[in-house]
Amino acid sequence: MLIIENLTKVYPNGFKALDNVSIEVPDGQFVALIGLSGSGKSTLLRCINRLIEPTEGRILWNGVDITRASDEEVRQIRRRIGMIFQQFNLVKRSKVITNVLSGRLGYINPVYSFINYFPPKDKQDALASLARVGIQDQAYKKASALSGGQQQRVGIARALMQNPELMLADEPVSSLDPATSHSVMKYLDDLNKNDGITILCSLHFLSLARAYADRVIALKDGIVEFDGLPGEIDNQRFKEIYGEDAIEVGVS
Amino acid sequence: MFNNNSPRTSREALRTLVLVLVTVIAFMIYSYGWEVTDINLSTPQQETRQTNVGNALRELLSPRIFEQDREVFDYGENFVIGCDYDSADQQQVDDGGPFILVEPRCGVPGDLITIEGRNLSPSAAARIRWVPVEGQARPREDITSGREELIVSRDGAFSAIIEVPRISGSEGQTHVVQLRVAVPDGPIRFSDTTNEVIRRMVETIFMALLATSIAIPIAFVLSFLAAHNLMKPVRLTLGSMLVSFIALPVGWWLGATLLGDLGRFGVEVGRGDIALALGGFLIPVAAVVLGGLAIRWMSARLVFPVGSWQAEAVGIARQIVVIVLLIFVAGAIGGLGILGGDQFRSLGDTIRPEGDGNALLWLQRALADGIGGVGQLIGILGEMVELFIGGVAGLVGAFTLSGILTSTTRKPLLHLPYRPSVVVGGVLGAISGGLLLAGVAEIGRGAALLGLLVPFTTALLGGQIMVMILRRVFHIRRRAGGSRTNTDVFASGLLFIVSAVVIFILTFDVLQIGRAIIDGTLPPDTTINLLAFDMSLYVFDAVLFGAVLGGIAGALATSNATFPVGSVMYNVARTLMNTTRSIEPLIMGLVFVIWVGIGPFAGVMALTLHSIASLGKLYSEQIENIDEGPIEALLATGANRLQTIVYAVVPQIIPPYIAFTMYRWDINVRMSTIIGFVGGGGIGLLLNQQINLLRYRDAGVAVLAIAIVVSILDYASASIREQLTR
Repeated sequence: MLIIENLTKVYPNGFKALDNVSIEVPDGQFVALIGLSGSGKSTLLRCINRLIEPTEGRILWNGVDITRASDEEVRQIRRRIGMIFQQFNLVKRSKVITNVLSGRLGYINPVYSFINYFPPKDKQDALASLARVGIQDQAYKKASALSGGQQQRVGIARALMQNPELMLADEPVSSLDPATSHSVMKYLDDLNKNDGITILCSLHFLSLARAYADRVIALKDGIVEFDGLPGEIDNQRFKEIYGEDAIEVGVS
Repeated sequence: MFNNNSPRTSREALRTLVLVLVTVIAFMIYSYGWEVTDINLSTPQQETRQTNVGNALRELLSPRIFEQDREVFDYGENFVIGCDYDSADQQQVDDGGPFILVEPRCGVPGDLITIEGRNLSPSAAARIRWVPVEGQARPREDITSGREELIVSRDGAFSAIIEVPRISGSEGQTHVVQLRVAVPDGPIRFSDTTNEVIRRMVETIFMALLATSIAIPIAFVLSFLAAHNLMKPVRLTLGSMLVSFIALPVGWWLGATLLGDLGRFGVEVGRGDIALALGGFLIPVAAVVLGGLAIRWMSARLVFPVGSWQAEAVGIARQIVVIVLLIFVAGAIGGLGILGGDQFRSLGDTIRPEGDGNALLWLQRALADGIGGVGQLIGILGEMVELFIGGVAGLVGAFTLSGILTSTTRKPLLHLPYRPSVVVGGVLGAISGGLLLAGVAEIGRGAALLGLLVPFTTALLGGQIMVMILRRVFHIRRRAGGSRTNTDVFASGLLFIVSAVVIFILTFDVLQIGRAIIDGTLPPDTTINLLAFDMSLYVFDAVLFGAVLGGIAGALATSNATFPVGSVMYNVARTLMNTTRSIEPLIMGLVFVIWVGIGPFAGVMALTLHSIASLGKLYSEQIENIDEGPIEALLATGANRLQTIVYAVVPQIIPPYIAFTMYRWDINVRMSTIIGFVGGGGIGLLLNQQINLLRYRDAGVAVLAIAIVVSILDYASASIREQLTR
């Protein structure tokens, strides 16, 4: 269970990205995080694995207080949280397999990293992860040689290597075309339904949220504007979340 | 009529005014510049200057690449100074053989006389020499062409006009006008100049190669310290930082003595009889295996819960075992190197044959020389290990102790309540301040400019203290997000500068640094004895300053404050590199020549130092340009900072690193060609000598060689760089 209590984040320039956000996410839920750009979705996700330091508030995960954890403990917590990004964040010059293997860095002996050694089991797992997202044949190509959708799948494979219990997805399909977006969302769905991984996924398209999420949380100016089932968002709530002039665009 | 003072026209008027002003100022600047740079268009047009430069260019463009033995023939004709003498001497007659005619055959100094030659070797080189009764023969220049080196025409005829030289006491004497004809005779071969130039060119290229190669790893490491994006997040609590700072000199001392002895012991073992008997490599291998087993055992048997003190102790013990092992093995390998070097050299000596008559013997000799050469290299590397093992051990000791103490004290310091943290901060601050100023003062004793470092350091400390007091007194806090208000920044900045200046002047006065700067003298050497340490009064005063200021600063900040260690290291690294870079390698070469003598060694050192600074800056700029995304992603998987650097930073920076290295290599080759002008060896030294001796034809060979080599390497590195950035 992920418990976020009174989370506030104020940036050094004074901008308040999150204002007293409190959310509870039970294990195994697929949560879609929606809202305008700048509403605090990325900040919220990054506070959970402390890539960003919250200004106030607490985050508890399976009883562990993430916000008070020491550096070493944070590393151990991050190991169990996978994350995928809008820009995929792969190391372009490295091979796909190296990118996937780097998901295990939190688990292996740091000394091995200097000689680029991974245990053979990890290499097998990497190939298995790639097979799971359907791009095993691309394993030895340079990451930059892959298409956008394939790169995002490599990102998912990398996160899989951590055997995560929680997966944070920061606008994973915003850079992809509609068909590829669905493909990637299906993989996330597969991880959620078959592996029981809790997923927090920020999205721009409500239609994707309706199609894949169990629950939708909407942020507006750093406050939780809506928290409920995807079907409950009618036109009225939509305008409350996105503003008066917003029109829903579908990704079908 | 148009609208006066409408915004558009008044803006245009302003613009025209600015343009006129700028043009006038530019004109003034350039005319001043013209005057200051002494540009004078009539000087190049003077005839003598034009002839001289023409001759020089002609010779430079006629490089003496080839040489041919020459057979020299001298043809002489008498000449009498003073023509009261009735010359009844026979003129030579043309009997088919070579001869010269001189007309007239008497004269006074300053007269112009004609020399003609017949039946000489066609197209041969000819020089006119005046042979007096006493003294050296002197060359004469042909007045019409202004040259000394003349050519016999194709039909064997020769003609020149020379001036009778003024020689004291030559009145009435009979001198000889001589025509020296040099006829090519023998095979055409590379001149001695060419051979020398080739040798020097090879030396030059290797100078550049060595300098660049040594600079690369050092600059690589340095560049990470000078990369803002990597260094900024590195923060420590003030307490931890002070502890690690104090641990540095202590650790250095421990390392240099204890570990140094161990390392030297390793060297002795490596080069000793045991190694000889057991077969050298067994020793380091055995050491590594034993050490590895010990570590394995420790990891397997001594397992404690994460974060407990026992686990930490085991970790520390493991670290110590590793470094002890490493130093010993390093020493042993060094010793093996020395041993191996001897072995290889004696092997080479035994198989080297006496003579080298036939091909087989020559091959054998080459083999022997090769083996000997390898032995030489290994031996030198081994000796370098022996030389540096003490220093390396000191460094290792410093950083290890520092790391150990930092990690052990981090938790306790973090949880210190307010009052104790003030005390701890004060005590640690005082010790660190004293140590810091002791070090700075020791450096500062060396030279006037360095002496300024002491008041500079105290000024920084003093300024920071006043700012902290200000904030305390007025309860100024950071804003919610961690930044400071504008008034805070302004007021603190002003106070900082003012108090820094005050403390600077105070220190300056007390330590009498003004004397040192004006007179260039070192501070007086009154020694006092403190705790069994001898130090000069100057250093003692500085230590007092440091301890007081450091103690106040530490107490005010408390040991819990976050200290931006990374930013400090970044600034120090950047400043050091920028300062070094701004000194041209040629100037560094001058200093190195004084140290290690004239020759390529000085050149290599100068180029290496400059390359380290330059490459370090270029590399670090690349690191600052990388994509942050992969770093974020890897941190999110739980990787530590070092792993993130290896997997996310390094792959991104390799192509630009290689490109910059090639760029630097290019520059180093150019630099190494001219560093010889200050004594740094290489072809520059040769070129300098030849120009000074006015041997422009020989200089031309060097210039040509430089041009060829530089353009080839230029092209090669450009195409490599193009390949990489594709």
